[in-house]
Amino acid sequence: MRLLTHNMLSSNIKGVTNGFPLLIEVEKVVEKQVDFNEDFLRNMFAKIEWKALVEASRTMGYTELPENSESSMLNSDEFLRKFHHALLELHLEEGALVCPETGRKFPVNKGIPNMLLHEDEV
Amino acid sequence: MVSSCIGVSSTCSFGTSLQWGPGLHTFISRGHIIGRNASVQVLNRTHNNSRKDIGIGIGIGIGKRVYFTAVSGGGRRMQTVVNAAAVETLQKGIAEFYDESSGIWENIWGDHMHHGFYEPDSSVSLSDHRSAQIRMIEEALRFASISDDPMQKPRQIVDVGCGIGGSSRYLARKYEARCQGITLSPVQAQRAQALAASQGLDDKVSFQVADALNQPFEDGQFNLVWSMESGEHMPDKTKFVNELARVAAPGGTIIIVTWCHRDLSPSEESLSPEEKELLNKICDAFFLPAWCSTADYVKLLESLSLQDIKAADWSENVAPFWPAVIKSALTWKGITSLLRSGWKTIKGALAMPLMIEGYNKGLIKFAIITCRKPVS
Repeated sequence: MRLLTHNMLSSNIKGVTNGFPLLIEVEKVVEKQVDFNEDFLRNMFAKIEWKALVEASRTMGYTELPENSESSMLNSDEFLRKFHHALLELHLEEGALVCPETGRKFPVNKGIPNMLLHEDEV
Repeated sequence: MVSSCIGVSSTCSFGTSLQWGPGLHTFISRGHIIGRNASVQVLNRTHNNSRKDIGIGIGIGIGKRVYFTAVSGGGRRMQTVVNAAAVETLQKGIAEFYDESSGIWENIWGDHMHHGFYEPDSSVSLSDHRSAQIRMIEEALRFASISDDPMQKPRQIVDVGCGIGGSSRYLARKYEARCQGITLSPVQAQRAQALAASQGLDDKVSFQVADALNQPFEDGQFNLVWSMESGEHMPDKTKFVNELARVAAPGGTIIIVTWCHRDLSPSEESLSPEEKELLNKICDAFFLPAWCSTADYVKLLESLSLQDIKAADWSENVAPFWPAVIKSALTWKGITSLLRSGWKTIKGALAMPLMIEGYNKGLIKFAIITCRKPVS
């Protein structure tokens, strides 16, 4: 699971008011090379929850992203590369996503999160 | 007025209906709920599910069966509606069915797990089916007026009930978009991701094990919400459609291609008993909950104030499909694969003639329903 996906996922357990962002429990991180596409990054920048991305990438062991961001940073190639790396090249292979309110863990196995709710969470 | 009677209902684990007169009703129904006591709501229902009278029942699990008994204040048509425990059972059944069957399907038919689109009354050979399945995707996109224009084409797509990701990969490639797929089957999700990786699409498509009735996404994420032949599996159509609308971005398009039963005429309250019986048999084999009509979907979309709602009946365009599937099952490869697969797959295969019967009787319809989420 890459952080682009993580930035879209939230916990929708019954009663949870804010299930985003999910915390990450890391067991295994894998880095996979992805072709750099500047247009895509510019497009995604406006839609990404930046703080969630920064926090998630730090949990995954990548500390290069700035705490805050603004669109002028997109002019910097260095920034774009870091953004690209954090968003697309870091994969959680094994671990869990954790609901920020209830602490409930959604397992991630072989890179695939299992977001199914139990009967009493619906 | 109090009377009691005992009845036995049909074996569809999802809804059984008996017709008894008013009074105290006691009936026993067979279902499959794993190890739990289940409470059952007994509702008096018309075809559009308006509740008139409510009763309570309890179930006792013995081994794998649950015996329900229910009492109600009275009324004509009684139907057991099973609660969350049964939805979980259905979902487990769906997951297991696809965990078991996906491999054999892929082996014979490839990575698209949906009907092909054919010219009406055409005769097709086995080699035409793959391109017919692709045509189905293209026809659906065309029906929904999805633009190829770089400024307007979809960028974020969700494939609800993605199977092994055939549509996800096709759409991601076609529009150079990102696609998220969700499925109840862990086997399918893994296979979908592996296929994406082998096709160089690993960075464009991602798959999750998730529930279409509780999509794990924040609101408004997707320009295109795609449900290709997964709606049939949704036990709660209202929730299903609500979720599709919730995750659609403002201005985004929703495309639902699904099996429905025929629309009811104004004078009809429900399908005939024979029609229901046929559908129940199909439900049982394919892990489907109760069917609804195309008109029901349109009403749901209207109730959510979605715009540009369009619907069409494509039953004539899919007619060659089930005979072709049956033919493929009867080949040496088909038979040996089935024998190596599990009972769920075999049972599903044996139910295929029922689909043909349903289509021939005008009971089963292959429908497309599309709409747009308002911009503001």
